[in-house]
Amino acid sequence: MKTGILAVLVFAAGTLAAQQPDTGMANMPGMGPAMPIPMPRGMVMMPGLVGLTPPVTRFVPGAGHDLSSLPAAKPMTPVSLQAGDTLDLTATMVRRTIHGHSFVGYGFNGEVPGPVLRIPQGATIAVRFHNNIDLPSSIHWHGIRLDNRFDGVPGLTQRTLAPGDTLTYLVHAPDAGIFWYHPHEREDIQQALGLAGGILVESRDSAYYAPVNQEQVLVLSDLLINGDTLIPYGKETPDFALMGRVGNVLLVNGVPDYRLSVHQGDVVRFFLINASSSRTYNLSFGGAPIKVVAGDVSRFEREAWVESVLIGPAERYVVEVRFPRAGTYQMLNAVQTINHFVGEYQPEVDTLGVVTADSAQASPDLSASFTTLRANADVSKEIDRYRAAMSREPDKRLTLTMATHGLALPTVQFMSIDTAYFAPVEWSDAMPDMNWLSTADQVSWELRDDATGKKNMDIDWHVPVGSLVKVRIFNDNKSFHPMQHPIHLHGQRMLVVARDGVRTTDFVWKDTILIPVGSTVDLLVDASNPGAWMMHCHIAEHLGAGMMAVMHVDNK
Amino acid sequence: MIKRFSAALLAATLAGGPYDITLLPTPSAPAAQGTARLVSAPSPFGIAVSPDGHARYDIVLRITGLPAPSTLGAYHAYVAWAVTPDLKDWTRLGVVSNGDSHVGVAQYNKFLLVVTAEATADPTERGGPTVLHGTSPSGWLQTFLAHPFFRGAPGK
Repeated sequence: MKTGILAVLVFAAGTLAAQQPDTGMANMPGMGPAMPIPMPRGMVMMPGLVGLTPPVTRFVPGAGHDLSSLPAAKPMTPVSLQAGDTLDLTATMVRRTIHGHSFVGYGFNGEVPGPVLRIPQGATIAVRFHNNIDLPSSIHWHGIRLDNRFDGVPGLTQRTLAPGDTLTYLVHAPDAGIFWYHPHEREDIQQALGLAGGILVESRDSAYYAPVNQEQVLVLSDLLINGDTLIPYGKETPDFALMGRVGNVLLVNGVPDYRLSVHQGDVVRFFLINASSSRTYNLSFGGAPIKVVAGDVSRFEREAWVESVLIGPAERYVVEVRFPRAGTYQMLNAVQTINHFVGEYQPEVDTLGVVTADSAQASPDLSASFTTLRANADVSKEIDRYRAAMSREPDKRLTLTMATHGLALPTVQFMSIDTAYFAPVEWSDAMPDMNWLSTADQVSWELRDDATGKKNMDIDWHVPVGSLVKVRIFNDNKSFHPMQHPIHLHGQRMLVVARDGVRTTDFVWKDTILIPVGSTVDLLVDASNPGAWMMHCHIAEHLGAGMMAVMHVDNK
Repeated sequence: MIKRFSAALLAATLAGGPYDITLLPTPSAPAAQGTARLVSAPSPFGIAVSPDGHARYDIVLRITGLPAPSTLGAYHAYVAWAVTPDLKDWTRLGVVSNGDSHVGVAQYNKFLLVVTAEATADPTERGGPTVLHGTSPSGWLQTFLAHPFFRGAPGK
């Protein structure tokens, strides 16, 4: 940073700090001394914010436990289940070690991420969930159109499961594809620290996907670590409420150095799950050709070549990648971030892992089938039933917005002068100091029903089962701090029929839709599954800051 | 000139967008004015970015008041360009005229949108006079040093 800029900032921030009313930002009981927050390369913590801490009690899991007594986290393993099987799934504390530093995390059956459940399409399995962590918990079966009673939302579809509690879920999987499971209680802590796992629902149709040499489930996540210390969480309510907690250590399947070995010419099908609290990825495979095959709840009508995969929190994509030559292929997350101090973009590239192709030839050689983009006539034929409803006027309209109260004055001042431009997607946290200090008591993220003016849980939508509901969502770029939102609807599936007035031409069924700043997205919800279903932003801290509503799909 | 996705994109222009670029005239064509609408380019993911993370925008220009290019000299077409702020890199987007023109994709972080009069419809580099220009909204990003002045602070 240039000296002149820093001088202005020191002066301005010092003046602002001197004016700061009692925001309760420092020296609250239980908070302890201030700690630094890791800043992006080339940026310093805002001087007026130095010494402040979020007005919450610090929480790190496992207080009172000897770290060395905890079992080391194990890598995820596949668990094949058949209809009628029962799985015991236990959430426990584990010892996670990343870059040589150990800390307390959480795991399902000791694994981080949790085991990959492989289920035949149409099967129903039972999962006996044991909550053996130090927080209330539950399991939500993300994207699966199951019985509402087992959707895993405390206070809506089930009781909260206190530490030591057990509940059995019946999970019926009607759709083939990649899904996932995670708690629906303080996701900002539990999901971030390891409680997430994949569910691979295998189609009845053996030709559902093209042939590949191998399949891999990749769970993407990140952790915010300062040196060897896990940045604590807010005990009473989430911190990082403005942007969500964006980690500075990127993980694939729980590790920062994911490795995969293939033969040259191999085609690998990757089932990608973004289990991060807030981060959106732009993932590529070292120049290897990528074919996108499927999204959250179905295959695309038509497969497509892509150069990278853009995946928001909670979204899933199925891609096939061919590694044509022997050598190494770096899996990169490459984005353009904004340095707010100097008003410039800067590239940010993280290596998520490495795929090594040896000199043995792929067997079988699938190069011919890989070059073919398949058209899935069955997907199109099913969607044909919905096309007539796509062009009608919206039945519901939502605006995504926010309000703040009691933020640190320097934060308010600097944000108010930095509103000239908001990028459609914030790829990383360029102002983690301000973000860290914001809690869900100070930030209200809002779903606002345009027709009634009601917000969040005051929204009371009722639609009949079997109906199609067209929902128009506008992400208000004029709000105090606009940001992209991955909007997730439980228990149903939906189609994006248009973005910013541009009609979709290649449909895929989704359950989570990334809505950039300023965008208007038209959704067609297939309200086929009765019950009370959450609709919320899947940035964990935005959910914790209220950004949720309920859609009741009523039996006739 | 209308290219692919034209009907949908032009419909989308009617409502305006958060990333519109206002095009300002130059003395060469003082009656010209226009707006460029930036819409994310088609992508299976709903949002289009390049492998290195640059946003990819489809651009539709709505222009009025352009004189016939020949009134400015030996020119036969107007061409839109995406230009880096340092004016070093010029990417030809396409031919434009009065009315709506879909000119294709730009993928810079910050860029200028410039319309020039040209001798041919497909020049490889800019040759004629500029008639319209605008700045991408991302160009509004400024150093914090600038903000106090924009808010009325004295210069010293």
